[in-house]
Amino acid sequence: MAKGRELKGRIKSVEGTRKITRTMEMVATSKLKRAQDRVAAARPYAQSLASVLSDLYSPALAERFPLLRQPAAARRVGVLLITSNRGLAGAFNSNLIKEARLLLSRLEGQGAEIEFHAVGRKGLGYFRYVGRSIATSRTDLTDRPTAANAAELVDGMMQDFVTEKLDAVYVVYAKYNSPLSTPATAARILPVTPPEQQAIKRDYLLFPSAEAILSELLPLYVRNVVYRALVETAAGEQGARRTAMKNATDNAGDMLNILRRTYNRARQAQITQEIAEIVGGAEAQKG
Amino acid sequence: MLKVSVISPEQTLYEGEASSIVAPAYDGEVGILTGHAPMMALLGTGTLRLSGSAGEQRFKVEGGFLQVVDDVVRVVTERAAEL
Repeated sequence: MAKGRELKGRIKSVEGTRKITRTMEMVATSKLKRAQDRVAAARPYAQSLASVLSDLYSPALAERFPLLRQPAAARRVGVLLITSNRGLAGAFNSNLIKEARLLLSRLEGQGAEIEFHAVGRKGLGYFRYVGRSIATSRTDLTDRPTAANAAELVDGMMQDFVTEKLDAVYVVYAKYNSPLSTPATAARILPVTPPEQQAIKRDYLLFPSAEAILSELLPLYVRNVVYRALVETAAGEQGARRTAMKNATDNAGDMLNILRRTYNRARQAQITQEIAEIVGGAEAQKG
Repeated sequence: MLKVSVISPEQTLYEGEASSIVAPAYDGEVGILTGHAPMMALLGTGTLRLSGSAGEQRFKVEGGFLQVVDDVVRVVTERAAEL
Protein backbone atom coordinates (compact mmCIF):
# COMPACT_ATOMS: atom_id res chain seq x y z
CA MET A 1 0.00 0.00 0.00
CA ALA A 2 2.78 2.37 -1.03
CA LYS A 3 0.42 4.96 -2.52
CA GLY A 4 -1.67 5.07 0.62
CA ARG A 5 1.30 5.88 2.81
CA GLU A 6 2.34 8.63 0.45
CA LEU A 7 -1.15 10.12 0.56
CA LYS A 8 -1.18 9.91 4.32
CA GLY A 9 2.04 11.92 4.42
CA ARG A 10 0.58 14.61 2.19
CA ILE A 11 -2.59 14.81 4.25
CA LYS A 12 -0.48 15.35 7.39
CA SER A 13 1.53 18.08 5.72
CA VAL A 14 -1.51 19.93 4.37
CA GLU A 15 -3.14 19.68 7.79
CA GLY A 16 -0.05 21.26 9.30
CA THR A 17 -0.09 24.07 6.78
CA ARG A 18 -3.77 24.69 7.39
CA LYS A 19 -3.13 24.93 11.11
CA ILE A 20 -0.51 27.61 10.47
CA THR A 21 -2.59 29.64 8.02
CA ARG A 22 -5.61 29.47 10.30
CA THR A 23 -3.56 30.76 13.22
CA MET A 24 -2.12 33.55 11.10
CA GLU A 25 -5.63 34.47 10.02
CA MET A 26 -6.73 34.75 13.63
CA VAL A 27 -3.67 36.75 14.64
CA ALA A 28 -4.22 39.12 11.71
CA THR A 29 -7.87 39.51 12.68
CA SER A 30 -7.03 40.60 16.18
CA LYS A 31 -4.22 42.88 15.01
CA LEU A 32 -6.54 44.32 12.38
CA LYS A 33 -9.04 45.27 15.06
CA ARG A 34 -6.43 47.27 16.94
CA ALA A 35 -5.02 48.82 13.79
CA GLN A 36 -8.53 49.85 12.74
CA ASP A 37 -9.02 51.55 16.08
CA ARG A 38 -5.84 53.51 15.53
CA VAL A 39 -7.01 54.63 12.08
CA ALA A 40 -10.27 55.82 13.64
CA ALA A 41 -8.48 57.50 16.56
CA ALA A 42 -6.31 59.50 14.16
CA ARG A 43 -9.32 61.01 12.44
CA PRO A 44 -10.32 63.83 14.88
CA TYR A 45 -6.85 65.33 14.81
CA ALA A 46 -6.69 65.28 11.03
CA GLN A 47 -10.15 66.81 10.75
CA SER A 48 -9.38 69.57 13.24
CA LEU A 49 -6.17 70.48 11.46
CA ALA A 50 -7.81 70.44 8.05
CA SER A 51 -10.74 72.60 9.16
CA VAL A 52 -8.47 75.17 10.77
CA LEU A 53 -6.18 75.30 7.77
CA SER A 54 -9.08 75.84 5.42
CA ASP A 55 -10.42 78.54 7.75
CA LEU A 56 -7.16 80.44 7.76
CA TYR A 57 -5.93 79.75 4.26
CA SER A 58 -6.24 82.39 1.61
CA PRO A 59 -4.46 82.53 -1.73
CA ALA A 60 -2.97 85.88 -0.79
CA LEU A 61 -1.30 84.40 2.27
CA ALA A 62 -0.15 81.36 0.37
CA GLU A 63 2.66 83.09 -1.47
CA ARG A 64 4.46 83.79 1.75
CA PHE A 65 4.76 80.19 2.88
CA PRO A 66 7.60 78.05 1.64
CA LEU A 67 5.57 74.87 2.20
CA LEU A 68 2.92 76.16 -0.19
CA ARG A 69 5.25 77.30 -2.94
CA GLN A 70 4.38 75.82 -6.31
CA PRO A 71 7.57 75.13 -8.26
CA ALA A 72 7.23 75.61 -12.01
CA ALA A 73 9.01 72.35 -12.79
CA ALA A 74 9.83 69.45 -10.55
CA ARG A 75 13.55 68.92 -10.96
CA ARG A 76 14.18 66.87 -7.86
CA VAL A 77 11.37 64.89 -6.26
CA GLY A 78 11.23 62.94 -3.02
CA VAL A 79 9.29 59.67 -3.00
CA LEU A 80 8.45 57.85 0.20
CA LEU A 81 7.25 54.29 -0.24
CA ILE A 82 5.57 52.58 2.69
CA THR A 83 5.38 48.79 2.64
CA SER A 84 5.21 46.15 5.31
CA ASN A 85 8.11 44.28 6.85
CA ARG A 86 6.53 40.87 6.45
CA GLY A 87 5.06 39.01 3.54
CA LEU A 88 2.27 36.44 3.34
CA ALA A 89 -0.25 39.18 2.80
CA GLY A 90 -1.33 38.36 -0.73
CA ALA A 91 -0.63 41.01 -3.33
CA PHE A 92 -0.48 43.77 -0.73
CA ASN A 93 3.20 44.64 -1.07
CA SER A 94 3.46 43.96 -4.77
CA ASN A 95 0.59 46.36 -5.38
CA LEU A 96 2.42 49.06 -3.44
CA ILE A 97 5.63 48.37 -5.32
CA LYS A 98 3.78 48.48 -8.63
CA GLU A 99 2.23 51.83 -7.74
CA ALA A 100 5.64 53.17 -6.76
CA ARG A 101 7.17 51.96 -10.03
CA LEU A 102 4.43 53.69 -12.02
CA LEU A 103 4.97 56.92 -10.10
CA LEU A 104 8.74 56.77 -10.51
CA SER A 105 8.60 56.16 -14.23
CA ARG A 106 6.05 58.96 -14.65
CA LEU A 107 8.21 61.40 -12.70
CA GLU A 108 11.37 60.34 -14.48
CA GLY A 109 9.53 60.68 -17.77
CA GLN A 110 9.00 64.32 -16.86
CA GLY A 111 12.72 64.65 -16.32
CA ALA A 112 12.75 64.67 -12.54
CA GLU A 113 15.57 63.33 -10.46
CA ILE A 114 14.31 61.02 -7.71
CA GLU A 115 15.25 60.88 -4.09
CA PHE A 116 13.88 57.55 -2.93
CA HIS A 117 12.98 56.70 0.65
CA ALA A 118 11.67 53.31 1.68
CA VAL A 119 9.83 52.18 4.76
CA GLY A 120 9.38 48.45 5.26
CA ARG A 121 11.53 45.50 4.30
CA LYS A 122 9.45 44.47 1.28
CA GLY A 123 9.68 47.69 -0.70
CA LEU A 124 13.29 48.21 0.31
CA GLY A 125 14.22 44.69 -0.78
CA TYR A 126 12.63 45.09 -4.19
CA PHE A 127 14.12 48.47 -5.04
CA ARG A 128 17.53 47.46 -3.73
CA TYR A 129 17.28 44.38 -5.97
CA VAL A 130 16.52 46.44 -9.08
CA GLY A 131 19.46 48.66 -8.20
CA ARG A 132 17.77 51.96 -7.42
CA SER A 133 19.74 54.24 -5.14
CA ILE A 134 17.96 54.59 -1.84
CA ALA A 135 18.38 57.78 0.16
CA THR A 136 17.07 56.50 3.47
CA SER A 137 15.30 53.38 4.60
CA ARG A 138 13.53 52.29 7.76
CA THR A 139 12.64 48.74 8.64
CA ASP A 140 12.18 49.27 12.35
CA LEU A 141 8.62 50.61 12.27
CA THR A 142 6.24 48.16 13.87
CA ASP A 143 2.51 47.58 13.52
CA ARG A 144 2.19 50.57 15.82
CA PRO A 145 3.65 53.58 14.06
CA THR A 146 3.72 56.73 16.16
CA ALA A 147 3.39 60.39 15.28
CA ALA A 148 7.05 60.74 16.23
CA ASN A 149 7.96 58.14 13.54
CA ALA A 150 6.11 60.21 10.96
CA ALA A 151 7.95 63.34 12.01
CA GLU A 152 11.33 61.56 11.70
CA LEU A 153 10.42 60.42 8.21
CA VAL A 154 9.20 63.65 6.75
CA ASP A 155 10.96 66.46 8.63
CA GLY A 156 14.13 66.15 6.59
CA MET A 157 12.20 66.27 3.33
CA MET A 158 10.20 69.24 4.53
CA GLN A 159 13.44 71.04 5.28
CA ASP A 160 14.77 70.19 1.82
CA PHE A 161 11.56 71.43 0.26
CA VAL A 162 11.80 74.75 2.08
CA THR A 163 15.42 75.22 1.03
CA GLU A 164 14.40 74.27 -2.54
CA LYS A 165 16.50 71.13 -2.67
CA LEU A 166 13.30 69.23 -3.44
CA ASP A 167 10.46 70.46 -5.61
CA ALA A 168 7.82 67.93 -4.63
CA VAL A 169 7.35 65.01 -2.28
CA TYR A 170 5.10 62.02 -2.85
CA VAL A 171 4.11 59.22 -0.55
CA VAL A 172 3.00 55.78 -1.77
CA TYR A 173 0.89 53.94 0.77
CA ALA A 174 -2.11 51.66 1.14
CA LYS A 175 -5.24 53.69 1.64
CA TYR A 176 -7.47 52.00 4.14
CA ASN A 177 -11.10 51.98 2.98
CA SER A 178 -12.08 48.71 4.59
CA PRO A 179 -10.31 45.44 5.41
CA LEU A 180 -11.08 44.25 1.89
CA SER A 181 -10.25 47.47 0.09
CA THR A 182 -6.74 48.78 0.61
CA PRO A 183 -5.78 50.28 -2.73
CA ALA A 184 -2.17 51.33 -3.22
CA THR A 185 -2.23 55.11 -3.52
CA ALA A 186 0.31 57.72 -4.52
CA ALA A 187 -0.34 61.09 -2.91
CA ARG A 188 1.56 64.35 -3.22
CA ILE A 189 2.27 65.75 0.22
CA LEU A 190 4.45 68.69 -0.81
CA PRO A 191 3.70 71.32 -1.92
CA VAL A 192 0.76 71.21 0.44
CA THR A 193 -2.63 71.15 -1.22
CA PRO A 194 -4.80 73.25 1.08
CA PRO A 195 -7.89 71.41 2.29
CA GLU A 196 -11.23 72.28 0.69
CA GLN A 197 -12.58 75.68 1.60
CA GLN A 198 -15.59 75.68 3.84
CA ALA A 199 -18.57 77.84 3.02
CA ILE A 200 -18.71 79.87 6.21
CA LYS A 201 -15.68 81.69 7.43
CA ARG A 202 -15.68 82.87 10.99
CA ASP A 203 -14.05 85.93 12.40
CA TYR A 204 -11.60 84.55 14.85
CA LEU A 205 -9.49 86.35 17.34
CA LEU A 206 -6.09 85.14 16.24
CA PHE A 207 -3.13 84.84 18.54
CA PRO A 208 -0.59 85.79 17.37
CA SER A 209 -1.77 86.09 13.70
CA ALA A 210 -3.11 84.03 10.84
CA GLU A 211 0.34 83.89 9.32
CA ALA A 212 2.03 82.70 12.47
CA ILE A 213 -0.61 80.06 13.08
CA LEU A 214 -0.42 78.82 9.50
CA SER A 215 3.34 78.59 9.54
CA GLU A 216 3.11 76.58 12.75
CA LEU A 217 0.31 74.31 11.57
CA LEU A 218 1.43 73.52 8.02
CA PRO A 219 4.30 71.29 9.19
CA LEU A 220 1.90 69.57 11.61
CA TYR A 221 -0.44 68.96 8.72
CA VAL A 222 2.27 67.41 6.55
CA ARG A 223 3.44 65.19 9.42
CA ASN A 224 -0.13 64.13 10.04
CA VAL A 225 -0.61 63.11 6.42
CA VAL A 226 2.43 60.87 6.73
CA TYR A 227 1.28 59.54 10.10
CA ARG A 228 -2.07 58.64 8.62
CA ALA A 229 -0.36 56.94 5.69
CA LEU A 230 1.66 54.83 8.15
CA VAL A 231 -1.35 53.89 10.24
CA GLU A 232 -3.52 53.09 7.23
CA THR A 233 -0.81 50.96 5.65
CA ALA A 234 -0.37 49.06 8.91
CA ALA A 235 -4.11 48.39 9.05
CA GLY A 236 -4.23 47.50 5.36
CA GLU A 237 -1.44 44.97 5.84
CA GLN A 238 -3.39 43.14 8.51
CA GLY A 239 -6.56 43.25 6.42
CA ALA A 240 -4.73 41.87 3.39
CA ARG A 241 -3.06 39.18 5.46
CA ARG A 242 -6.35 38.11 6.96
CA THR A 243 -7.90 37.74 3.51
CA ALA A 244 -4.87 35.91 2.12
CA MET A 245 -4.72 33.53 5.06
CA LYS A 246 -8.44 32.88 4.97
CA ASN A 247 -8.15 31.91 1.31
CA ALA A 248 -5.15 29.73 2.08
CA THR A 249 -7.04 28.00 4.89
CA ASP A 250 -10.05 27.41 2.65
CA ASN A 251 -7.87 26.06 -0.12
CA ALA A 252 -6.09 23.74 2.28
CA GLY A 253 -9.50 22.45 3.36
CA ASP A 254 -10.51 21.73 -0.23
CA MET A 255 -7.22 20.02 -0.86
CA LEU A 256 -7.64 17.86 2.24
CA ASN A 257 -11.08 16.74 1.08
CA ILE A 258 -9.68 15.57 -2.24
CA LEU A 259 -6.68 13.89 -0.64
CA ARG A 260 -8.83 12.09 1.94
CA ARG A 261 -11.21 10.89 -0.74
CA THR A 262 -8.36 9.58 -2.85
CA TYR A 263 -6.84 7.90 0.19
CA ASN A 264 -10.07 6.18 1.17
CA ARG A 265 -10.66 5.01 -2.35
CA ALA A 266 -7.17 3.51 -2.49
CA ARG A 267 -7.73 1.83 0.88
CA GLN A 268 -11.06 0.36 -0.21
CA ALA A 269 -9.60 -0.82 -3.47
CA GLN A 270 -6.91 -2.62 -1.58
CA ILE A 271 -9.34 -4.30 0.82
CA THR A 272 -11.49 -5.40 -2.09
CA GLN A 273 -8.48 -6.82 -3.78
CA GLU A 274 -7.35 -8.69 -0.67
CA ILE A 275 -10.81 -10.25 -0.25
CA ALA A 276 -10.82 -11.23 -3.89
CA GLU A 277 -7.45 -12.88 -3.40
CA ILE A 278 -8.63 -14.82 -0.34
CA VAL A 279 -11.82 -15.92 -2.03
CA GLY A 280 -9.87 -16.86 -5.13
CA GLY A 281 -7.42 -18.86 -2.98
CA ALA A 282 -10.24 -20.70 -1.15
CA GLU A 283 -11.91 -21.57 -4.46
CA ALA A 284 -8.63 -22.98 -5.73
CA GLN A 285 -8.22 -25.15 -2.56
CA LYS A 286 -11.63 -26.77 -3.14
CA GLY A 287 -10.25 -27.93 -6.45
CA MET B 1 -20.64 74.70 30.17
CA LEU B 2 -17.89 74.38 27.63
CA LYS B 3 -17.57 71.34 25.44
CA VAL B 4 -13.95 70.38 25.42
CA SER B 5 -11.92 67.91 23.44
CA VAL B 6 -8.20 67.32 23.77
CA ILE B 7 -6.85 65.76 20.61
CA SER B 8 -3.41 64.39 19.77
CA PRO B 9 -2.39 62.77 16.47
CA GLU B 10 -2.79 59.30 17.94
CA GLN B 11 -5.97 59.65 19.93
CA THR B 12 -8.61 61.82 21.54
CA LEU B 13 -7.48 62.11 25.14
CA TYR B 14 -10.49 63.84 26.55
CA GLU B 15 -13.97 64.64 25.43
CA GLY B 16 -16.43 66.18 27.84
CA GLU B 17 -17.52 69.28 29.63
CA ALA B 18 -15.70 71.85 31.70
CA SER B 19 -16.72 75.14 33.26
CA SER B 20 -13.39 76.80 32.71
CA ILE B 21 -10.11 76.15 30.97
CA VAL B 22 -6.62 77.45 31.45
CA ALA B 23 -4.36 76.68 28.52
CA PRO B 24 -0.66 77.40 27.91
CA ALA B 25 -0.69 79.64 24.85
CA TYR B 26 2.53 80.49 23.02
CA ASP B 27 3.08 83.65 25.08
CA GLY B 28 1.53 82.82 28.43
CA GLU B 29 -1.56 81.25 29.88
CA VAL B 30 -4.99 81.97 28.52
CA GLY B 31 -8.23 81.40 30.40
CA ILE B 32 -11.52 80.53 28.74
CA LEU B 33 -15.03 80.70 30.18
CA THR B 34 -18.37 80.20 28.49
CA GLY B 35 -19.41 82.85 26.00
CA HIS B 36 -15.87 83.41 24.76
CA ALA B 37 -15.50 85.04 21.34
CA PRO B 38 -14.30 82.72 18.53
CA MET B 39 -10.60 82.38 18.96
CA MET B 40 -7.62 80.53 17.65
CA ALA B 41 -4.36 80.55 19.51
CA LEU B 42 -1.07 78.78 19.16
CA LEU B 43 -0.07 76.68 22.12
CA GLY B 44 3.30 76.51 23.78
CA THR B 45 4.48 73.89 26.20
CA GLY B 46 2.84 73.56 29.58
CA THR B 47 -0.13 72.31 31.53
CA LEU B 48 -3.69 72.47 30.33
CA ARG B 49 -6.20 72.61 33.16
CA LEU B 50 -9.89 71.83 32.81
CA SER B 51 -12.14 72.59 35.76
CA GLY B 52 -15.56 71.06 35.92
CA SER B 53 -18.06 69.71 38.38
CA ALA B 54 -15.92 66.60 38.82
CA GLY B 55 -12.88 68.59 39.85
CA GLU B 56 -9.82 69.53 37.89
CA GLN B 57 -8.14 67.60 35.14
CA ARG B 58 -4.65 68.33 33.92
CA PHE B 59 -2.87 67.52 30.68
CA LYS B 60 0.63 68.23 29.57
CA VAL B 61 0.56 69.67 26.07
CA GLU B 62 3.26 70.64 23.62
CA GLY B 63 2.63 72.73 20.51
CA GLY B 64 -0.47 72.77 18.38
CA PHE B 65 -3.39 75.12 18.77
CA LEU B 66 -6.56 75.93 20.62
CA GLN B 67 -9.81 76.76 18.92
CA VAL B 68 -12.90 78.23 20.56
CA VAL B 69 -16.19 78.48 18.67
CA ASP B 70 -19.61 78.75 20.31
CA ASP B 71 -18.49 77.26 23.63
CA VAL B 72 -16.84 74.35 21.85
CA VAL B 73 -13.16 74.20 22.65
CA ARG B 74 -10.74 72.05 20.75
CA VAL B 75 -7.22 71.62 22.01
CA VAL B 76 -5.24 70.10 19.17
CA THR B 77 -1.69 69.34 20.16
CA GLU B 78 1.27 67.41 18.81
CA ARG B 79 2.06 65.71 22.07
CA ALA B 80 -0.29 65.37 24.99
CA ALA B 81 -0.38 63.31 28.15
CA GLU B 82 -2.79 63.20 31.03
CA LEU B 83 -1.28 64.24 34.33
